[in-house]
Amino acid sequence: MKKFAAIYTILGLLFMLILPTMNLEAQSIAQGDQSGGAFFSGMAKFWENSGFYNFDYRQLLMIAIGLLLIHLAIKFKYEPLLLVPIGTGLIIGNIPLPATEGATIGINDEGSVLYYLYFGVKEGIYPSLIFLGIGAMTDFSSLISNPRLMLLGAAAQIGIFATFIGAVALGFAVNEAGAIAIIGGADGPTAIFASSNLAPHLLGSIAIAAYSYMALVPVIQPPIMRLLVSKKERVIRMKPPRAVSKLEKILFPLIGLLLTAFISPGSLPLLGMLFFGNLLKESGVTNRLAETARTSMVDIVTILLGLTVGASTSAALFLSVSSIKIFLLGAISFAIATAGGVLFAKAMNLFLKKGDKVNPLIGAAGVSAVPASARVVQSEGLRSDPNNHLLMHAMAPNVSGVIGSAVAAGIMLSFFM
Amino acid sequence: MIFLIDIENWNWADIYVIAGVGYSVVFLVLVLLILVYKLIPKILNIRIKKRLKKEGKEIDSSSSEQYVAGEVNAAIATALMLYFNEQHDEESNIITIKRVARTYSPWSSKIYGVRNVLSR
Repeated sequence: MKKFAAIYTILGLLFMLILPTMNLEAQSIAQGDQSGGAFFSGMAKFWENSGFYNFDYRQLLMIAIGLLLIHLAIKFKYEPLLLVPIGTGLIIGNIPLPATEGATIGINDEGSVLYYLYFGVKEGIYPSLIFLGIGAMTDFSSLISNPRLMLLGAAAQIGIFATFIGAVALGFAVNEAGAIAIIGGADGPTAIFASSNLAPHLLGSIAIAAYSYMALVPVIQPPIMRLLVSKKERVIRMKPPRAVSKLEKILFPLIGLLLTAFISPGSLPLLGMLFFGNLLKESGVTNRLAETARTSMVDIVTILLGLTVGASTSAALFLSVSSIKIFLLGAISFAIATAGGVLFAKAMNLFLKKGDKVNPLIGAAGVSAVPASARVVQSEGLRSDPNNHLLMHAMAPNVSGVIGSAVAAGIMLSFFM
Repeated sequence: MIFLIDIENWNWADIYVIAGVGYSVVFLVLVLLILVYKLIPKILNIRIKKRLKKEGKEIDSSSSEQYVAGEVNAAIATALMLYFNEQHDEESNIITIKRVARTYSPWSSKIYGVRNVLSR
């Protein structure tokens, strides 16, 4: 602590020295002192190029938001793999830069390192690669063994379409509303993919809203689940999923790819990669590729995606009324999506036989925050019955939610592009 | 950017149509996947039955018995693990006390240590 205080005192003294030198420079130039003039003009230039000279209070606010995200990730473990890179990116992207022509430092300066790293976000490359990794790490067997649970994943996508109507009502252009709506799918990569195509200027706000709410799934979902599901329904025990053969697991990505791509070609970059990743995993002959896709590759892409999304979120774009609206819509869409899944599960139970009923809690996992919402369902189920493990059952709507939100994004793209 | 609908002059009917059609398509895709995945186990069962018939074997047609649930697998695996862990080698049951001779070795000797600090 003492060391920090000493360093900052020295820095403060240095800048106190620089301030008067600027006046001295003016005087020395007026007196025709060439050598002194060069020194002082150099010092003045250094001062003008520093972040202290160029800063704007809004940038400081953004840096504070970045620090808050890092704090949430480290202290409360809220999606640390995403919030740490995004928070750091926010700091990097809001460092005050000199308005020098031809400077290649910032993310919008063509030729800068950040500019090229951001290319993957702008062109929707990183979200597709993330989907490849998700495919290679996801076990679809719970979904294959009980396919009717896919309906819950479809039902929860009401969050997307309700948000679309809400965004238009709040005054967003229809293409912007289409991008904002995907936050309701609780799927960060899909939201980034849609907004990079439909509303690139809103990408930062949408990405941060999507990931923030995904991190807050354990906070947002339980009250809605408790409100809508009675104590009696919470203890419903579901049949254990049947064992799934290897052939079925191999067929799933192939059939899924063909079916979704033919109906919604706009979702091909995401779902094509998702099912390809899953085929690598399930084929059993490409273990090395699957291992790389689900570990090293997805980690590298997550780092680049988080960092550049954060860095692209400048104060001028983020601190606006539209960002507040996007955050508001995001919160409402998450609540609607959760409620949609839970209520649909309750409706399903009206038509199912006694032994086949589903626990309505798993409807909340229809939002595609994998596996966060499935974990929330598991913990809520255990609160009511310590021996009722719902995780495997919840994974089915959870992964079908991923498919559903990607299809919804494809539909939005096909409407507006 | 080129848009399928006029992004400047839209009316609310367009918005509701997009939302309705979009939601229906999401359902359609997943319902089709459900139908395909309800069908696949049946097709695979027919194949298995045909193959077994060729080999002259008969299988029980009740579908519930064709699959072993994960919980049953876990129970069988636990039982097997407990059974094999309970097994012991044959022992002589003779308890012996052997005197172990500690021969001096300079490798662990303190007198050859780098620092011989006096301990109090």
